[in-house]
Amino acid sequence: MNYWLQRLGMAVLLLIAVSALTFGSMNVLGDPLFNILGPIANDTTNPKSVALIKAAEAEYNLDKPLPERYVRWLGGFIQGDFGVQFSSDGQPPVSGLIQERLPRSFTLLVMAQVIAAAMSIPWALWSASRANSMIDRSSTLVTFLVIALPTFALGVILKFIFAIKLGWFPQRYIAGDPTFTHLKQLFLPALTIALPAAAIYQRLLRTDLITTLQEDFILMARSKGVSRRNVLFKHALRPSLFSFVTVFGINTGALIGGSLVAEGIYGVPGLGSAIVEATAREDFPVVLAIVMIIATTFVLVNLAVDVIYSLIDPRVRR
Amino acid sequence: MSAIDLADDAAAVEADDDGARPRRIGLLFWICIGWLVVIVLAALFAPWLPLKDPDKNFLIRGDRPPYSPSGTHWFGADQDARDVFSRTIFGARVSLIVGFVAIAFGMIVGGTLGIIAGYFRGTLDRVITFCFTVLLSFPSLVLAILITTLMDRSLVTISLTLGFLAIAPVGRLARATTIQFADREFVVAARTMGAKHPRIIIRELLPNVVIPMGALALLGMAVAIVAEGALAFLGLSVQDGESWGKLILLGSGTRELEKAPWIAFAPILILFLTVVALNFAGDKVRAYFDVKEIAL
Repeated sequence: MNYWLQRLGMAVLLLIAVSALTFGSMNVLGDPLFNILGPIANDTTNPKSVALIKAAEAEYNLDKPLPERYVRWLGGFIQGDFGVQFSSDGQPPVSGLIQERLPRSFTLLVMAQVIAAAMSIPWALWSASRANSMIDRSSTLVTFLVIALPTFALGVILKFIFAIKLGWFPQRYIAGDPTFTHLKQLFLPALTIALPAAAIYQRLLRTDLITTLQEDFILMARSKGVSRRNVLFKHALRPSLFSFVTVFGINTGALIGGSLVAEGIYGVPGLGSAIVEATAREDFPVVLAIVMIIATTFVLVNLAVDVIYSLIDPRVRR
Repeated sequence: MSAIDLADDAAAVEADDDGARPRRIGLLFWICIGWLVVIVLAALFAPWLPLKDPDKNFLIRGDRPPYSPSGTHWFGADQDARDVFSRTIFGARVSLIVGFVAIAFGMIVGGTLGIIAGYFRGTLDRVITFCFTVLLSFPSLVLAILITTLMDRSLVTISLTLGFLAIAPVGRLARATTIQFADREFVVAARTMGAKHPRIIIRELLPNVVIPMGALALLGMAVAIVAEGALAFLGLSVQDGESWGKLILLGSGTRELEKAPWIAFAPILILFLTVVALNFAGDKVRAYFDVKEIAL
């Protein structure tokens, strides 16, 4: 119990550090007034624009000192209020934008992880049972090449093959389409993220499986007459899933980076495109909200990994 | 054959690898190094090589660009009839500079912090390790987006941003390696002979930490080159000058892919070969020196 409290405390501390860093750097380095008012923000000689600046500062709380603004923002954030956008009318509120964009990115990420897991586990079992044969060696070479291929290059290649040459999948995401069509539209971007991830998982699981297959209890099971297939699926797989689960979780952070690029290539209006648009406009509340969502996901996934860990291997709980 | 026989086979082969047999580097490693040398030399001397001007429009009368690959344009010509081959070679200049500067910066800053944390331990170590954790908990691309939009998009800023991202992984490796060596006999011997901290760090620890970091440098350079490409796809890459990422982006529109896939695929090929060569060489160096812990 104590252990979990400590983990939770660490996670909260980390999130505060991340948010303070982002909030601070954006307010120190950027010029939010300019984004709200436009060019007149720098015109301090004209009394008319000075009045406008004063009004905007009061409205967006920019006249308060930085720590106070941070605490205000933090208070709102905990209650699910991400503030108003830094634009001339401040509409729509950041929460509205997030509500629209988040489900798309979330679906994309979940699809990618499902595809990656569905590919890598059978692939690893298949390779590990043929360890060091020609087939296994060439499949390891394939994983090496897939990992080396950058996401954007893979995205362009998949788009070329499956969307343009074969025409099996649509090239773009269309916001107004029904949900089922969306799943089809999200398949190629999800595959773009999933392929390198699957290659990473396969390599890891294959190595662990080969190590497990050398254990005495496998020999025991085999000599009792358990079939090869059953040994592989029932005896070897579970104890080998350890580092797979860890990397599966940690990798979620890396996949978020990949999904930003994949969203760009296939025109998916998710969080990735939102953060790019918002940074271009220096719309801090939006950027901050998205950074925090990503960081929180990351931290939560890591906690979840720990929980799953203790389910797979009861020794961890002690 | 049963699973166990195969597993035993695997054990035998692995034992063989670890055995007293002299470790071999292999032909493939030299091919990779050869490719890297060629691409670096081509990038360095691009302005003096007999290449076509990358910005010139080679319009052919009565024929609208893009042109497919031919004897005159090896990789074809793009929408504006510019030679894709020479653009790819010139693109290598920007991409390689970004990769090199980024990883050099990460090595110097991250390496120093990591060695200091691993050598002195205590509170300092805890603070530095916490900073590394915070940095690592940020999805790196998001941080890169933040910095490049808030600062500017010059070659220096982009390179240093990516270098900044390399600090935490490099630092963690440096710290872990330092801890491994900090209590070894030769360090203790140096200390008993009255050597000061800076001398111990530079003369005793640094040579041992540099080797695993060298393997990481090759891998990290590949990561930085790819990251620059990803930034380009978000419209955030180097403002002046073409990088591989920007060239691929230019050819990745639906119309270009339909009519002239070579605009995107030529730089993809060269980028891919370079990244594979860096990864493979890095892996080999790591295996050769038996580096256990690498986190990038």
